Amino acid sequence: MTARIFTGIEDKLGLDKFKAFHKPHLTLEKKDVDQKKLVEEKLFICPAKVYTLNDKNEMVISFENCLECGTCRVVCPEEIGWEYPMGGHGVTYRFG
Amino acid sequence: MSEDKFDVIIVGGGPAGLAAAFVLAKAGKQVIVLERGEYCGSKNVFGGILFTGILEKLIPDYLKDAPLERNVTRRGFSLLTPTGELGGGFKFDKFNTAPFNNSFTTLRAKFDNWFAGKAEEAGAMIITGATVDDFLYDTDGKIKGVKARMDDGDILGDVVILADGVNSLLAKKIKLHKELDPKYTIVAVKEIIQLTEEKVADRFHLNGNEGAALEYFGCAAKGAVGAGFVYTNKDTISIGLGASIKSLMEHKLNPNDALEYFKNHPAIAPLIRGGEQREYSAHLIPDGGYDHISKLFTDNVLVAGDAAGFVNNTLFHEGTNLAMQSGVSAAETVIEAGTRKDFSAASLSVYKTKLEESFVLRDLKQFRKTTDALDANPQLFEKYPKMLEELVSELFTPDGEPKWDKEMKLMGKLLKQESPWGLIKTALAMRRVII
Ligand SMILES: Cc1cc2nc3c(=O)[nH]c(=O)nc-3n(C[C@H](O)[C@H](O)[C@H](O)COP(=O)(O)OP(=O)(O)OC[C@H]3O[C@@H](n4cnc5c(N)ncnc54)[C@H](O)[C@@H]3O)c2cc1C
Ligand code: SF4
Repeated sequence: MTARIFTGIEDKLGLDKFKAFHKPHLTLEKKDVDQKKLVEEKLFICPAKVYTLNDKNEMVISFENCLECGTCRVVCPEEIGWEYPMGGHGVTYRFG
Repeated sequence: MSEDKFDVIIVGGGPAGLAAAFVLAKAGKQVIVLERGEYCGSKNVFGGILFTGILEKLIPDYLKDAPLERNVTRRGFSLLTPTGELGGGFKFDKFNTAPFNNSFTTLRAKFDNWFAGKAEEAGAMIITGATVDDFLYDTDGKIKGVKARMDDGDILGDVVILADGVNSLLAKKIKLHKELDPKYTIVAVKEIIQLTEEKVADRFHLNGNEGAALEYFGCAAKGAVGAGFVYTNKDTISIGLGASIKSLMEHKLNPNDALEYFKNHPAIAPLIRGGEQREYSAHLIPDGGYDHISKLFTDNVLVAGDAAGFVNNTLFHEGTNLAMQSGVSAAETVIEAGTRKDFSAASLSVYKTKLEESFVLRDLKQFRKTTDALDANPQLFEKYPKMLEELVSELFTPDGEPKWDKEMKLMGKLLKQESPWGLIKTALAMRRVII
């Protein structure tokens, strides 16, 4: 067997099955926060690296990669609007 | 669906919700399970060992067709040090015959789906792809059902059982549960690594369908308060790592980086060598224990499983059986309340009594200090494993020095790094985790 070992999150997400819904289930609720600080000091914790910064230091939310764990909800209950994706959408684990 | 009224609405098709549905359907109740995933299990992740003590009471012949991976005969508990491990554990051949120690490695996508099939056979209605967002209220403000995000999603019922897992947005909506506290919540990440059946058996010293469950403490999470696990499935390995969200934040550590550290640790890397990754997943574990469980009932509503915070996250790592037992107790409570035709909080309060008398709340009470003890002793996750490695490795390196002299020298070294009081304090904290 040839080993194929990914260490980075982006590659690992490629192993998973997702069904994206057009409407984001994650939103930035507090528009006036320092988005760079929010990502670097808090949302770095997301195991799917959903929250990144663009070159203008604005937060980009790649909600279609979300593993629906809820960690960002726990660390940013005020800043992040969090709901479950539409039924049947989002991640589908085949092993779990 | 608004024309029909159900006796019981269950939100969430995991072990808690499905156990409740099974019991209620068997008792002839009109019960509906609403599950947001494409199928039951499709959103669920655990280590994991399925503890089947409660399942067996519900479905005595479950071994016939339940999708179980291996029966766990070997359990290991290791303290990871910077370059190795100090380990212990047990392996008993008697666990190879029924009831197999009630412990089986399992994959949730398969198991929950199977369990849903059993609940359906018993007469429960299971609707998948249905995310419940809110409750329905009657004019007096009493809960009379739920609102699912789909066509005809207003569903009426006498009672709602919230079995919607650790993030229970619904229990929070009606203030039964506070927002999760980072100190009392673990985030876990996990990978499935494909090997072959033969490799799994050889690598973990297993015969036939035997399985191994190995837990790793100490510096598994790169210094954060956390632990790693390696479980053998038939031809795959479940490898993962869970750490307190608070501690990861303090260490500025992403869970995947902690997992990569664990996977590359010299004691762990050989276990998964040559394997192919098949899945990457993430999930929370409620870790507050007895003092942080939710309110368990209110008028027309009960809370079961992870939604209530029922996980015994000590050495035992039990969640699935607490979920199933609480589902069963919730179902029995509803059946009894049904004979009284009274679903008020007062009538449903026997649920708490049932759980207080069962292993669910008794175990959680016994270990109520575990999380605080670990949180207060971060030295267990970096400093102590390092000290231990130094002591043991020097003691076991014969170099011509008499043992007595060596032991005295090491004792002096140890006491330079830690006071006797510090050692005693840590030993006491450890007791909280084990007994
Ligand atoms: C990494 C990890 C390792 C673990 N290891 C073990 C182990 O080895 N042994 C063990 O016994 N336990 C283990 N556990 C704990 C165990 O997984 C849980 O305690 C158990 O799954 C709880 O069952 P539940 O039915 O309460 O919740 P869940 O299994 O989480 O089920 C909840 C269900 O509700 C659904 N849902 C949620 N919200 C909604 C909504 N609004 N509308 C519709 N559906 C909804 C979800 O999709 C899900 O199917 C582990 C957990 C993790 C994360
Ligand atoms: S729920 Fe989990 S995976 Fe999704 S964005 Fe939040 S932290 Fe990331």
